[in-house]
This record gives sequence, structure tokens and C-alpha cells, in this order.
Amino acid sequence: MADTVQPKKTPSDFLGAIIGHPVLVKLNSGIIYKGVLACLDGYMNIALEQTEEYANGQLKNKYGDAFIRGNNVLYISAAE
Amino acid sequence: MASQLLPLELIDKCIGSKIWVLMKSEREFVGTLSGFDDYVNMVLENVTEFERTTEGYATTQLKQILLNGNNISMLVPGGDGPQ
Repeated sequence: MADTVQPKKTPSDFLGAIIGHPVLVKLNSGIIYKGVLACLDGYMNIALEQTEEYANGQLKNKYGDAFIRGNNVLYISAAE
Repeated sequence: MASQLLPLELIDKCIGSKIWVLMKSEREFVGTLSGFDDYVNMVLENVTEFERTTEGYATTQLKQILLNGNNISMLVPGGDGPQ
């Protein structure tokens, strides 16, 4: 089982690959933040740059820098 | 006697195949499992997000996500989603 064909990609691998890239962060409340991932930690606390806040698909606000507390995060997606 | 398979070993066997994730809320995800950790935070690829509303399911397509394990309630290996 150890040498399976498809490479495993653990959460740490994923996070390492997307730091510095555009990401989409969705909170449990449904609010979406799009921005460049500056850094994050094991709690999924996130620092974003050039952040755009979307609610119901509509742009609501823009922030130069934003900190998101990890307990609110539903998922982090690599933006296209 | 058959050796026991732990729950996370079962999920480990699902890596590379489709999995259906049901959250505590009215939200579900279907995608290909790339990996996970001890908290069952999951990396999923080619994901469809389903959100149950009064008018049915609202779906969103996502290429690759890291799903927070905190609000996951159930995993269905090979599952195709609610539709």
C-alpha cells in the first residue's frame, strides 16, 4: 500500500503549495474572501493581502490586509 | 481472524478516489480525495459543493480545496452526492 501510484497530498503539502498565490476562503457563515495568501498556521488562521469580501456573490468590501481567525474557516480553495 | 481496520485506515484507502462529505450544516461536498490529516482536514480535487436551500441544491465547482475537518459529520467513500 505504501507505494501507491497517485501522490498523496496532505493538508500541509497543499498549504505549502498555495502560499503566495491567490486563494478563495469560505467561512462557515457563507461569506467569501478572495485574496493573496500571505501566511497561515495550524489553526487555519489566515493572513490575506488584497482582500475582497463577497456576500451572496456580491462584492461588499476591500481590505489591504486581513486576518481571518481559523475557527470560522470552512475551506480554502486555490483560486483559478 | 480478520485484522481490524481502523476508521482512518478506511479513509486512507479512499485516497485517489471519489468521496462524499456531509457537513454538520446543510452543506455537502463531492470530490476526489488527495489527502487528509489526523483532524480529518481534507484536500479535495474537482469538487462540487452542494448547499441545500428551500429551492433545492445550490452547487459550486472548485478545482482544489482544503476542507476544515471541524464541521464534517460523515464521509461516504465512492459517494456521488445528493443528486
